[in-house]
Amino acid sequence: MRFFSLFWIFTLTLFGDEYLLVVNKNTPIESLNTLQVKSIFLKKQTMLNELLLVPINLSPFDEVRLSFETKVLEMSHAKLKSYWVQQHYQGQRPPINLGSFESVLAFVKKIDGAIGYIPATLFDPSFKQVYSWEQ
Amino acid sequence: MRIVLLLVFFISSLFAQESEYTLGQGIKIPQTPLYLGGYISTDYAYFPEQKENRLRIDDIALLAYGRTGKLSYLAEFEYKEFYTKTWGDTKYHEDNTHLLTERVFASYLLDENYRLQVGKFNVPIGFWNLTPINVLRETSSSPLSNSILFPRFITGINLEYKHYSEYELKINILMQENKDLDRKYNNFEIDALYGLGVEYGTHDISLRLDGGYFHLREPLLDEREIYYGLASLKVQKERYEIMAELGTQFSKERTLVPYAGYLQGVYRLTEKHHLISRLESYKQYRSLNASATKDTIAILAYTYRPLYPIALKAEYQFHSLAEQDGVIFSFSVLF
Repeated sequence: MRFFSLFWIFTLTLFGDEYLLVVNKNTPIESLNTLQVKSIFLKKQTMLNELLLVPINLSPFDEVRLSFETKVLEMSHAKLKSYWVQQHYQGQRPPINLGSFESVLAFVKKIDGAIGYIPATLFDPSFKQVYSWEQ
Repeated sequence: MRIVLLLVFFISSLFAQESEYTLGQGIKIPQTPLYLGGYISTDYAYFPEQKENRLRIDDIALLAYGRTGKLSYLAEFEYKEFYTKTWGDTKYHEDNTHLLTERVFASYLLDENYRLQVGKFNVPIGFWNLTPINVLRETSSSPLSNSILFPRFITGINLEYKHYSEYELKINILMQENKDLDRKYNNFEIDALYGLGVEYGTHDISLRLDGGYFHLREPLLDEREIYYGLASLKVQKERYEIMAELGTQFSKERTLVPYAGYLQGVYRLTEKHHLISRLESYKQYRSLNASATKDTIAILAYTYRPLYPIALKAEYQFHSLAEQDGVIFSFSVLF
């Protein structure tokens, strides 16, 4: 066990912090590619496997959210703001914001179709990991 | 005028109740699933060859939308060219206080791939036509190809197929077999439209092909049954954006618009300062016994956005038909 923990710390040091997109066990999604994640968080895709999706963001200037926006969505915060202004004209709202990883996990656990990002260190097997990225 | 003041008062009172309001994203009406927003645009244009000045309050619009499960809906009402005044060689003044229905539609998700949209909405042809309002465009003016090739609005059905995997695929099937809602407002008065659009996209490049047919209520060059085709390209990078559209319009007997298109580049100096250049060209037959009108237009523009939903724009248009050169300044806000 100690060996495994040392190996995990070594890996994190070597490759940076890892983050996961998670859903609850009732959500029929096994894995997503980057374009699919992008389409969900830009609300181009609002339904998957007969379930309405509820993407969740952290607060606007949270470091992990900024990492998600630049590394996964490949859009700056400013570009995203302009995107959501354009979507307002089309009648679309941005994803909901929650203030902490704990709130994200509580929301995902309760709502089928909810999808949010957390650090890999907070993952527990009662959730499903569907995507990951490193900071 | 009284109606506008009442509208402004009503909206202001709603905004005053909203503690976390973000400009450009509307407000939620308490205890309902409904969001409210709107936009305003004004412009001033000067045409030196004609020695004409024009001042307009162009759009005053209010939109309301919401979503309940798989069903979403939107309604937009607008005063178009609310106030226009020209001076110089020609003097003219007009107020338009007729409230128009710009869009009113419902959209239902049939499953993860299919969506059905019913009502009046911007027809999904090309890319420009889906962000038609001043504040969302990069320039005050729109390319002429957007108004001479196909109707800008449909009052009918849009069956949309979307697929996301390693690439993005979108297909639109359009159908209208009735009169337009607020028909004077459309650039073509139609009573039928059938169209097909196919869009393919990767991370930052999108390609789209559209083709279809529409039936005019009043003949154009003796023709009522008109066909259109349009090819569109959009490249979106963090610093720059390129957009191009090229299309044609014809009937069974003749070609009405042999070609009309544009190529536009946007360079973002910073988040707030954008430089734009656009090259447009078209050839259009406007009467049966005359040769076609041809024009090539170069547009240089600068847009300042102190916040994204507020746009202050300046543009100069150089036309090969020299008497149409002009300068346009505009101010627009989405709230």
